[in-house]
Order: sequence, then structure tokens, then C-alpha cells
Amino acid sequence: MAMAGIKTIIVLSFILAIGFLLVILSSALFNNFLTLLVVATYCIAPIPNWLCGKASNQDDFTDSGSGNSVVELGRFVTGFLVVMGVALPVVLAHCDLIRPEAMVMSIVGGLLIYGTIISFTMFFRQEEEF
Amino acid sequence: MSDSRLFRFPKPAWLNSATTRSAGVYAAGALFAIALFLQIDAATFSKSHLNGSVFNVTFIDWIPGIFSLLGLLIINSIDKTRLSGDSFSYSGDDGVAWKARVVLFMGFAAMAGGLAGGVTVCVLKYVVKGAEWPALWFGIACVVGNAGVMMSTVVLWISQNMEDDYTYNLAL
Repeated sequence: MAMAGIKTIIVLSFILAIGFLLVILSSALFNNFLTLLVVATYCIAPIPNWLCGKASNQDDFTDSGSGNSVVELGRFVTGFLVVMGVALPVVLAHCDLIRPEAMVMSIVGGLLIYGTIISFTMFFRQEEEF
Repeated sequence: MSDSRLFRFPKPAWLNSATTRSAGVYAAGALFAIALFLQIDAATFSKSHLNGSVFNVTFIDWIPGIFSLLGLLIINSIDKTRLSGDSFSYSGDDGVAWKARVVLFMGFAAMAGGLAGGVTVCVLKYVVKGAEWPALWFGIACVVGNAGVMMSTVVLWISQNMEDDYTYNLAL
């Protein structure tokens, strides 16, 4: 179990490093640092779910979270932020503020970063339950 | 519950699960992001150097979007269980359902007004004055963006009305 955890952490950190590499290359190669906004978007994307999950635990007397409006608000904002991370480079490239190559690299890098954050949270939560 | 069914085919079981419900909420947020970024794209494109026409996106193009956003907020802030509260009268005061219906009507009016305003802006500001394709995109983005906000509201409404099996069923 410990070896699997260490392997998971190593693989996830490699993927995170590749994602950051792609985003930084996409901004540094063309000397246009607007694509760093993607990193900011994906870094704040898990925060609404976390905050709203904390907020809903205080008065959890109803059924198992299905009718909880605060949790749904967090999910709505999360879906908004994830699509915003893809839509922002597309808008920037369509308006000729960044190059299309930079758009592709920042989208792929941002998705790698966000996938790393999500899968790290899942693995961490699974190990916490044991 | 099965004898009060109207149609021959039962609702599929995945339609009531909590996973479908949360997926619907995520999809509503995604649709809203797409709608908002269509309008942001139109505004950015009109300010960039690619826009060689005389047309520009001004504050007028954002007014239908603001009304659609108001409609989304109002419609999804209403507690859906209040809408049918008059017939059961366990809520004590019987004016709540009436108030809820009035506020909900205002929300739907704002949403429909937003979509109609989007079409109005597209027609009056761009189509009538003969805008060609790169400038016509501003008007089309206004219409499609407002339609996207409306779709987001519909998806959010449907997924909020999905109840699990152990909760009561709200027939609307």
C-alpha cells in the first residue's frame, strides 16, 4: 500500500511538472504571458467544492447531501471554472492576443494540472478513510 | 408510486440517481461558462485589431445578458417545495406559494426578456445595418449567449428537481 502510494505521488508530480512546463513554455516561447491565467483558473477550480463542502457539514440534518443548495452552488462554480480554463485560451487565440500553438499548449497543460489536483484529492481521500 | 404513473415506460433508474444530479449541476455551470465566454469573445474581438468594421460591442450588447443572469439567479433561488405548498397547508401561512409563484414569474419574464432582447440587439444593431461576417458575429454571439444562459437554467432546474427515491416526489 505504501509503495503504491509513493508510486502514485511520483507519477502525479511528474504529470504536474509536465503541465506546468507546457503552460510556461506556451507563455515564454512567444513572450506573451497571458496564458498564465489558465494556471490561476485551474488552481482556484477545486476551491468552491472544498469551501461549500465545509459549509454544508455544519447543519447536515437533512438527507445525505442531495438536497443541499450550498453544495450545488459549489458544483456550479466548479463547472464554470473548468470550462473557463478551456474557453479563456480559445478566446485569446480567436482575438489574436496569443498564438494558436500557445492556445493548444496552455489548454493541454491546464488540463494536466487540473487532472493532477483532482486525482491527488481522490487518492488522498481514499487513504484517509482507511 | 407505480399506480399513479401516466406513461407506459417507466423513468429510467439512472435519471434519479445522485450522480446524474451532480453531473447536471456541473453541466449547468459549464453551459453558463460557454455562454458568458461567447459574449466576452465578441467584446474582445470588437476591441482587437482584427475588427476592421465600424461596428463595436458596447454596453447595449450586455443588457440582455444581464437580464438573463438575473433570471437565472431568481429562478434557481426559489425553493421548489414552496410552489405546491398551498394545497397541503402544512406550512402555516398560505401566502408563501403565491409569493413564490410571483417571484418565479418575474424570473421567467427576465429570462425571456433577455433572450428576446438578444435577438433585438442582433437584428437592430447588426442585421438591419448590413453587417458582414466578422461584425455579424457580435450579434450572433449575443443571441447564442443568451440562449446558453437559458439552457443552463433549464439544466439546473431539471437537476434540482431530480429527487432520490427516499425523498418525496415533486410533480411540476
